[in-house]
Amino acid sequence: MLSLGGISIVHAFLTQSITFPSKPFRKANDIKGINLNILKMQQTFPINDKDLEALANNALTTVFDTMLDTKVSLNESIILESESYNKGLVLPLDTTQPLVTGTVGFIGKLTGIIYIFMNLPFAEKLTCKLLDMEPDDLDSESTETVNDALGELTNMIVGTFKNELSDKGFHCRMTIPSILRGSNYTIEPVEVALRRIYQFECEGSPFVIDILMKEED
Amino acid sequence: MRLKILTVDDSKTVRIIVKKSFKTFDCEVHEAQNGVEGLAMAAKINPDVILLDITMPVMDGVEMLTKLKSDPTLKSIPVIMLTAEAGRENVMKIAKIGVRDYIVKPFKEEVLQDKVSRVVDLRPAGEAEPVQKKIDDPIDILVVDDKPAIIEQIKSGFSHTPWNVHGVSSTGEAIDFCQKNVPDCIIISLSIPEDAAITLFRIIRSNAKTKYVPLFGLSVKTAIEEQQRAQQAGFSTIISKPIDFEDLENKIGKAVNLDASGKYFKMDGTFMTVKLPGTCNAGVVNDVSAHLKEKTSEAVNSGISNVVFDAQEVKSLNMDVIKLLLQSMKMCRDLSLKYALAGNAQIKDDSRKFEESKDWIFCDTVADAKATL
Repeated sequence: MLSLGGISIVHAFLTQSITFPSKPFRKANDIKGINLNILKMQQTFPINDKDLEALANNALTTVFDTMLDTKVSLNESIILESESYNKGLVLPLDTTQPLVTGTVGFIGKLTGIIYIFMNLPFAEKLTCKLLDMEPDDLDSESTETVNDALGELTNMIVGTFKNELSDKGFHCRMTIPSILRGSNYTIEPVEVALRRIYQFECEGSPFVIDILMKEED
Repeated sequence: MRLKILTVDDSKTVRIIVKKSFKTFDCEVHEAQNGVEGLAMAAKINPDVILLDITMPVMDGVEMLTKLKSDPTLKSIPVIMLTAEAGRENVMKIAKIGVRDYIVKPFKEEVLQDKVSRVVDLRPAGEAEPVQKKIDDPIDILVVDDKPAIIEQIKSGFSHTPWNVHGVSSTGEAIDFCQKNVPDCIIISLSIPEDAAITLFRIIRSNAKTKYVPLFGLSVKTAIEEQQRAQQAGFSTIISKPIDFEDLENKIGKAVNLDASGKYFKMDGTFMTVKLPGTCNAGVVNDVSAHLKEKTSEAVNSGISNVVFDAQEVKSLNMDVIKLLLQSMKMCRDLSLKYALAGNAQIKDDSRKFEESKDWIFCDTVADAKATL
């Protein structure tokens, strides 16, 4: 585990981390002109944006509905300029608040990593819902409890996502979940062919899923 | 002996959810957080079923399963995979090693309970020592019929009892009902289209919560083919329309194992009244007879010294009833209890036809019988 000025990084698969990112992004539904870089990526990467968004949406919806008996809605899909893929980005989330991030990787025909960013109070709320606990039940061991619950939710979300990829012919295996905790941090991938960020909302709380993938030879 | 379930998962969250899922069942859940611990725990407690994750540190689920299946003492333990790793290829690979079932995360608690109950005899907690309900307890009866008139008829037929009759018109509504409240008894119309009664029967029997709930089929007397299909599917009791409510009440009482003594024995002041119902067949006589000794002792212990046998509603006197009354009167004499009989004109006539009862004196009312004591 690395520790950088209050930022704990437990996972280092395809990624490094930086603080105070500044690179802007575009919302998918805001794009009016044609971006050659994006088109190039979409033509070469085996899954198009529409399918990827559907995969992410289905994974989130299924897990939240089944395990938490609650609904999620997709607020925005963010399509990045390809030169921004390996830069730190401002997430559509209040990153000055304490953040908890669940992460699980997958290795195979497609290799990638998925991060799920959320503010700590929302992570605690999900933990209570998942384990049938009252907020007061989160005691001194709550860090471990929340980490484990968010890790398992991430595992299920990435599992659902990956299983659909496998059924489409992109066989891959999952890694064990990890958790990042800190504030004001983002992810800077070393090598990636596709990066998409989606902001979802659940019961008034926003959270972000950051998908990074590349196709293996 | 309580069932033992072993959950092997590196996630404490999953282990907590598994424990929570089986909280209401008569079983104990043991935990291990990887394959090495899982094998050690399996050897130690010899569980009835193992719920096994795949992706775990130290030793993953596939390796643990392989080792388990090669150990002669452990290989017969059924294993259900509980994992986020699905996909056809993965499932095929695991199935070859030998698993009983496969649950893909995310999962509903009901799915977990259902799958486990298909492998082991999972019973609700406390069922091993059930508290017997009494005939005048408000039991819940679910009636599944697409004809509202039949539901109303059954409600009306049981209006003299404290039983709650709930009516639904489709199998979907019935499943929803059972998920919220497990009824004490279910009556399903066999004439619901598309063999829905048989489908519902199978769903109810395969669910851990409802698998032991008594199920009655309801059918027109002449619909022989429909009744045969239902019996082949597993319906053990079929009620004919038009419904004989006295008979149905007895059948429900027996199926739900209700303590029916309150229906026949009433204590009031210094009197105990033994009330015999209109149709006094061998089943009813056995029922009364089974409670007679216990109830008579209870009466004596509570200071009661008089007993009235009320046969006013009995349609005819047969040898079974005569034997019951002979046995009862002998018990009263043995315990120095005074007794009297009340009966209608038919009973009085019938009693003169039998050697054993020709000298019996029946009063016209219970009040008259009490007055003679």
